[in-house]
Amino acid sequence: MMSDILLTIVTMVFALMVVFSKKTVVSALALLMTLLSIAMIYFQLGTFFLAAIQVLVNAGAIAILFVFVMMLINLEQFENNREKGKVKLVISVLAVLIIMGVFSLIINNNIEVLTANNISDNSMKALFDKLFMDYYLPFEMATVLLLAALVACIVITGHEKAAKVEHGESNE
Amino acid sequence: MSSIYYYLSAFLFTLGLLGTIFKKDLISILLCLELMMGGVSLLMVLFSRATGVLESQLIVFFMMIISACEIAIGLSLIIALYRKKQTIYTDDIKIITE
Repeated sequence: MMSDILLTIVTMVFALMVVFSKKTVVSALALLMTLLSIAMIYFQLGTFFLAAIQVLVNAGAIAILFVFVMMLINLEQFENNREKGKVKLVISVLAVLIIMGVFSLIINNNIEVLTANNISDNSMKALFDKLFMDYYLPFEMATVLLLAALVACIVITGHEKAAKVEHGESNE
Repeated sequence: MSSIYYYLSAFLFTLGLLGTIFKKDLISILLCLELMMGGVSLLMVLFSRATGVLESQLIVFFMMIISACEIAIGLSLIIALYRKKQTIYTDDIKIITE
């Protein structure tokens, strides 16, 4: 119970740092810490496979990808931080309070249902049986989607250079 | 006592939504989208625990794959935009109105 509250506070602090930090690099590192905290919550809830995937994919790959892109586009010229104003802060706080209020109503009305622990077989074998027996087609489609994203990234970022080469050759 | 995590997932989603609306540079918007995705994933895992349905965890697994694709393509679009316009701010992008 103590660790629940501690993990929640840590995650909330890092999530607030993601949104309210002045520097984008600090935001990216705070996002990394938020994702790691969520992975710890997955561990605590007993979903070990998702925790490992969260650390490997989200924290290990995506957050680092953000930092790489920030190095590529030379963020120092963009540090003037354009957004200002108290109105946005007030709107943000109000919206968070309203949505949390609605959520707390829903949660408190169904508290017995929502806090039950009904997973009978929490082993990875059960999960993988489902993934590779019943859901093998979505799994294969996900691999195709990853391949398509890979090709799309190469085409989008490398297109201008290729076009220039073609243009130069046609001029000659 | 894991009900506090429901509030945490709502908080993460709301914070990410507000950041997506109010932030001005594209990288911060993508960071906030990732934050929203984290909140939704946490909610799905909690539902999987509460109902005993293992499919929820598989949905989170596929969501992670899709969000990885989304972030990779979004970042490459930002790089392409930076090469073309030398900016990453949403205010400076008026390609549609030009």
